[in-house]
Amino acid sequence: MRLTDRRFALVLIAPAALFLAAFVAWPLLRFVSNAFYEISPMAGGPRKFVGFENFATAFSSPAFQGAALRTIVYTVIVVALEFTFGLAVALVFAALGSRSAVFRTVFMYPLMVAPVVAGLLWRFLLIDNFGILNELLRRIGLLHSTDQIGWLSNPRIALFSVAMPDIWLTTSFITLVLFAGLQNVPGDVIEAARIDGVRFPTLLFRIILPLLRPVIAVALIVRGIDAARAFDIILIQTNGGPQDSTTTLSLLIYRTMTRNGDPGLASAMGTVYLIVMLAVAAVAIFAIWRPGGDEA
Amino acid sequence: MNGLETRRRPTRIILWAALAAVLVLYGFPFVYLLLTSFKTPLDAIAVPPQVLPSQWTLDNYVAALSKEGVVPALINSVATAVLSTAFSLALGVPAAYAITRFRTPSGRIFVVAALVTRMVPTIAVGAPLVETMRRLGISDTTIGLAIAHTTISLPLSIWLMSSFFEAVPIELEEAAKVDGSDRLQAFRHVVLPVVSGGLAVTAIFAFLASWNEFLFALLLTSVRAQTTPIVIANFQTQFGLDWGGMTALSAVYSVPVILLTLALQRHIVAGLTLGAVKG
Repeated sequence: MRLTDRRFALVLIAPAALFLAAFVAWPLLRFVSNAFYEISPMAGGPRKFVGFENFATAFSSPAFQGAALRTIVYTVIVVALEFTFGLAVALVFAALGSRSAVFRTVFMYPLMVAPVVAGLLWRFLLIDNFGILNELLRRIGLLHSTDQIGWLSNPRIALFSVAMPDIWLTTSFITLVLFAGLQNVPGDVIEAARIDGVRFPTLLFRIILPLLRPVIAVALIVRGIDAARAFDIILIQTNGGPQDSTTTLSLLIYRTMTRNGDPGLASAMGTVYLIVMLAVAAVAIFAIWRPGGDEA
Repeated sequence: MNGLETRRRPTRIILWAALAAVLVLYGFPFVYLLLTSFKTPLDAIAVPPQVLPSQWTLDNYVAALSKEGVVPALINSVATAVLSTAFSLALGVPAAYAITRFRTPSGRIFVVAALVTRMVPTIAVGAPLVETMRRLGISDTTIGLAIAHTTISLPLSIWLMSSFFEAVPIELEEAAKVDGSDRLQAFRHVVLPVVSGGLAVTAIFAFLASWNEFLFALLLTSVRAQTTPIVIANFQTQFGLDWGGMTALSAVYSVPVILLTLALQRHIVAGLTLGAVKG
């Protein structure tokens, strides 16, 4: 007996589909349904249906509002700086041509470092009194004493400081993706613009960036999602402190789930977070990427 | 060659200088980690800090590797990553092949579903998985953690392998079928060898996803199946602020994968840019 192509395809897809259904979709459904219950933190403890009460508690809690805002700020800092820096480096690589190949490889190395290692490493670089960053800044005369900037201990700048290892870790990704995109920009378009006397900034903003639009969209969406989910890199540096100034949603949900022992509330927060992520990603994909659509 | 390359000498000199500055800034954090790992424990937290060790020593490595649980955690990390890579390839390769070759509606729905998986916050899957693993009797086991890691690497593997399969001309398979092979034989003996480079890229990424993962490991393991990222994180509480030991273990954990990257960089660049550039 011979299977039709359609059946054959189904047989090949089924194992992966069943796996994702059992270990992603089903847990996720349970997580979302937990948001409607008051749950004892003990395993097998009592559950009570409470409707939307957990959602109401979440939305009215300053901790949740603050964490949501910090998640947005953190994501914007990470994505904006990674994009600016990553694009600049990609343009330098493109301008230097094939002889920069070795350096492209070297530039890539942080991508392989575990986020938890990157977080600890940067905590070590930034730490008060024996951190090397302030010491180097002092030596070149930018600071007059090493305790002038408390990178991770000053609540007003800590959210920016914890973003630094994330930027260090994945700017290479943006650079690699944009560099690959730049290779596909037709040379004669740029040559023609040069002959017409177009200056570099105009060339960049009017010609190169619009041509790279789909590539930029994918890079920003991928990095935006990951930055919004950042967990270990922040946990390891500050554990959400000082004074909750680096408690983003993923940390707040984790803490509500484990330390505060309120899985119902944590699930409600996580559900809101999930819905917002899906909505933003969907809008981003359709608005920026416009798959197949021509740039007007 | 591309129109963006500049031939003007002064511009090139400035750009090379800028690139050198960027590379020094970018390379310094990890070089400093390596240097610190060779310092004495006191040197590591000296005020003011020095860049170079005053005395080079392997003490931090000896101390870190002889701590209880460190070597088992390294073994667990390797075992979990290898197992999870095997799961991702076994499940992802046939699925990706079917999706690109037959373009059925079920395949299209599946691609969207796999993409959505990428956006889910880890904790939303990880927390309920604790209960699932307990029911299956695989709490705190390497296989349980490997399954959890596969939820991350499987969608990634399908995404990457789909791009590689797309590049295989369909004529190749048709020729095999004319020669009397059935679809499965054509897939195994004709298509798979052609995409072997792609399989390598996918395997590397699946391995790295598991190797560097933290939150699933934190939620799903306690003692027996604990992986190295958790042990590294514990250096700050369990043993006080042992920066020397932490940097040594971090170096042991990171240097092999960094060297692997440098050796296989062509493949890795292909994997990182493939999906994104094709749009």
